[in-house]
Amino acid sequence: MPDGVRVHYREELERLEESALGGLDMVSIALGRTMEAVEHQDVELAQVVIADDDRIDGRYLEVHQSLITLLATQSPVATDLRLISALLHVLKSIERMGDQCVNVCKVIPLSGSEAPVDPEMVKLILTMGEFTRPLISQSKRAFEERDVEMARDLVRRDDAVDELNRECFRLALQIGDEVDQREWAMTMLLAARAIERVADNAVDIGEQVAFVVTGLFREFEDASHPS
Amino acid sequence: MLTEQMPKIEVRPEFQSSPASEAKEKVFELKGIDVSYSGVPAVKGISMEIGRNEVTAMIGPSGCGKSTLLRCLNRMNDLIPTAEVEGELLYRGEDLYGPNVDPVQVRKLIGMVFQKPNPFPKSIYDNVAFGPRILGRKDGLDETVEKALRGAALWEEAKDRLGDNAFGLSGGQQQRLCIARCIAVEPDVILMDEPCSALDPISTGKIEDLMIELKEQFSIVIVTHNMQQAARVSDRTAFLMTELDATENTRWGRLVEYDVTEQVFTNPSDKRTEDYVSGKVG
Repeated sequence: MPDGVRVHYREELERLEESALGGLDMVSIALGRTMEAVEHQDVELAQVVIADDDRIDGRYLEVHQSLITLLATQSPVATDLRLISALLHVLKSIERMGDQCVNVCKVIPLSGSEAPVDPEMVKLILTMGEFTRPLISQSKRAFEERDVEMARDLVRRDDAVDELNRECFRLALQIGDEVDQREWAMTMLLAARAIERVADNAVDIGEQVAFVVTGLFREFEDASHPS
Repeated sequence: MLTEQMPKIEVRPEFQSSPASEAKEKVFELKGIDVSYSGVPAVKGISMEIGRNEVTAMIGPSGCGKSTLLRCLNRMNDLIPTAEVEGELLYRGEDLYGPNVDPVQVRKLIGMVFQKPNPFPKSIYDNVAFGPRILGRKDGLDETVEKALRGAALWEEAKDRLGDNAFGLSGGQQQRLCIARCIAVEPDVILMDEPCSALDPISTGKIEDLMIELKEQFSIVIVTHNMQQAARVSDRTAFLMTELDATENTRWGRLVEYDVTEQVFTNPSDKRTEDYVSGKVG
């Protein structure tokens, strides 16, 4: 229990942080299932991920509303204000990550039930998923521990995911001239792109960590100004 | 301009607006101010500059010396025989506590509004005209009264009842009357000691709007317990807190942080400010 005055307010803020960051665990599970669905072309599992996204959206709405109530009733300032502002951003990122998993799951039926046209491309996408899940947990830990260095390290790990995405693109270009093959490759590119965005959202959460700690918002990396 | 020898009083140079980004002209400079009552320190080592045409807020827990410090700025502490002020306090570059400075003149230039509205048991008109009459003004009193009441956003409510007793006004109106009385003598600075603590939210809102309007003409220093009020109205905020000696028997106020208000309430540089403004300590 927090010491000092305004104990209930502090407890509520702690609870909301825990609840918001808990959304990242939900996203991590959704991404794990999404990858499994991609690997096995499992349309039923993909449907489960799509249905479960309502839970992530529900978490977003619930915590968002409670944070607005805290803003309206408790007049938070200083670190508390920055924390609430950051949590509102983090919630949005979590909601987007959930949507990206849904985007991948929606294209799984489009990839058909035949064996993959290019198993190498599927393998790359699965590797992107393997790389992205630790990014999600690292963004959560960096936020919980207010560790800016750990948050900054997300950029390095995201670069690896970006590189895999580019590799997918290169493979898609070489896929062949058949319409079916090209359609499959386009579908897989959409999936790769969605996972790449999940990793970007983890970096966005890292930027919010830096904002909570330093009071300054700076993008770690900007698409228009790459480091 | 504070000395008796000077025949003509420069009340207030013409206000010139300047962009917010420009450094503000200083109205007060405090250098190592210590105040004590009967040898017991109340505040120690206060050094800060107060900008012209700004609202400067002083916040801090009870007993941290905010009001003591405020009262130094127009020598109100002179009225307490045991009070002693050390250090250097410059008003527009002149020593406010210099040997030839007339405290009455100081209080004319640097007016004060108190926590509880304190109108005189006179008519609304006579309350506002009181200061100018004391200063020997006879001509243009009506205009002066109207200008001051307009300045204090009370004219519309009071213009048809100027002869009524001031005690018939509501608390919020009485406080605005006190502000009108203060500005009727055309001061340079207005000091406000918790001016809204006895008022309801509507009256508080009116006084706060008024402060923002008045700073165009005057420099305002406000002591408040209401941190959101400091955040709403002030340009700069000073946070004071109490410090104890080794025996923990004596306590005095110290300036912990003084910065642009936005900075104090979004990203204070001192942990103690952070704890106070976010309500972690009382």
